[in-house]
Amino acid sequence: MTKQDSDLVKDLRAQAAKAREESATFDALFSSLGEGLIAINEKGHVTRVNQAALDMLGYTESELLGEWYPEKVVMVNEDNSVVETIDRPVTQVFMTGKAISVSKYYRRKDGEKFPVFMTVSPILLRNKPIGAIEVFRDISDDIEADKMKTEFISIASHQLRTPLSAVNTYSLMLENGYAGELNEQQSTFLAVIIAATDRMNRLISTLLNITRIEAGNISVESSPIDLSILVRSIASEFEPQINQKLSLKTKIEDKIPEVNTDKLIVREIISNLVSNAIKYTPEGGLIEMSLYTDRKSIIFQVRDTGYGIPEGSKDQIFSKFYRASNAVKQEVSGTGLGLYMVKVLAEKVDGDTWFESQEGKGSSFYFSISKKGISGKSGAFKLENSRIKRRD
Amino acid sequence: MAKILIVEDDIDLNLAYRIILERESHTIESVYNGNEALERLDSFNPDLILLDLLMPMKNGVEFLEEYNIAEAPNPAKVVVFTNLENSDEINEAFKLGAYKCIVKSWTAPQGLVKVINDTLKSRR
Repeated sequence: MTKQDSDLVKDLRAQAAKAREESATFDALFSSLGEGLIAINEKGHVTRVNQAALDMLGYTESELLGEWYPEKVVMVNEDNSVVETIDRPVTQVFMTGKAISVSKYYRRKDGEKFPVFMTVSPILLRNKPIGAIEVFRDISDDIEADKMKTEFISIASHQLRTPLSAVNTYSLMLENGYAGELNEQQSTFLAVIIAATDRMNRLISTLLNITRIEAGNISVESSPIDLSILVRSIASEFEPQINQKLSLKTKIEDKIPEVNTDKLIVREIISNLVSNAIKYTPEGGLIEMSLYTDRKSIIFQVRDTGYGIPEGSKDQIFSKFYRASNAVKQEVSGTGLGLYMVKVLAEKVDGDTWFESQEGKGSSFYFSISKKGISGKSGAFKLENSRIKRRD
Repeated sequence: MAKILIVEDDIDLNLAYRIILERESHTIESVYNGNEALERLDSFNPDLILLDLLMPMKNGVEFLEEYNIAEAPNPAKVVVFTNLENSDEINEAFKLGAYKCIVKSWTAPQGLVKVINDTLKSRR
């Protein structure tokens, strides 16, 4: 063997040792990950599986390796019906070459189902998928925690409302002369208490709604709605509130088609947008509500001549608890939840929302929904109307 | 005027409803949970029951289950008065024969009077 050959052999041995070490490191990484990992080849057979996946699914390694993954690892829906192979995330990944993250259920070897959050990514060789890798974790505890959070908020809200009901009822009894006639100053003070109680009531409803929406517990109904009637009714609700301080106009296009959607949710979206416009428009300003259509959508617009949104606040205007810097300076009361609600509710009815605004000149907020409408979705709760007027 | 049984565990609210409805010349009995309501039914024989849902000892739904409106010989009309909105308990109360449901924190005295008087006038 020449010196050159001997160097080459040494080199190859070193490279082989390095490859073995890398492989061992990869194996250790793969098996020590807390999340379940399953690797699948292009034919859908399991090529690798880690201990966490085996523990969750209840199989041994030999029971899974080489098996056809969609058949062996059964994916089910919430109602325990089996997810067809064509609808499995891994199939979508092979078809599109793009990673997918979804929440689904797996069925253990013993038949019991458990919820998982999974990310399935393609293994690409020269841009062609040669397999896929799935990372998943059992989210039973997360779901339980969400449920507990929702229950806690429901109970806390109810407990908050009970003393508030007493404040509200006795204040209104005073206002209605149940304890004799009030002088002017007493009436003024009482009006402040009543308005604050109303605000608190609305805030509790909003918090409840947000918690339930975030936990995916809101049902979405679908029935034919005439939006022109809805917009007129919302305008008439707001009229007493803005009387003399602002002018309110409505412009409704003729023949707005009926659309299948959730009336309560759409009412809440539009009411929030109008309430916002009123809140951030100084006395003497104009609020204009319009309803019109384009080829595919029905669009609601509310334009105001208010404070407008500063450039630096535009990106965050739909964020939870965010309030624009000029709104805070104007000392307008608000929670920063109204537009966040609008955004999440618009998603519930497959709608879209956006705005145009110039600081000092005013804003236009838009909400659009497809003429095609939506199909309903069941949930534990309906949306609470956070703008109900007191029954009197 | 009518005989109204108020079933509400919050003492302040129970008293408020009593004051409001007595002013309308109704005869009022106040009780504070479902058990007390069941005990009082025979002797008081109310025309209408104003029923809270969340109460200790026996809640509104449990009360309705035992009251059994469908089988009762001359049942009172039940108006549920609660702060729960859109909940399973409300649906359950309707299934068990409740006539109307109103939300406490949104309802003004005149609103309560109107609902009670309308309910009393209505046929089942």
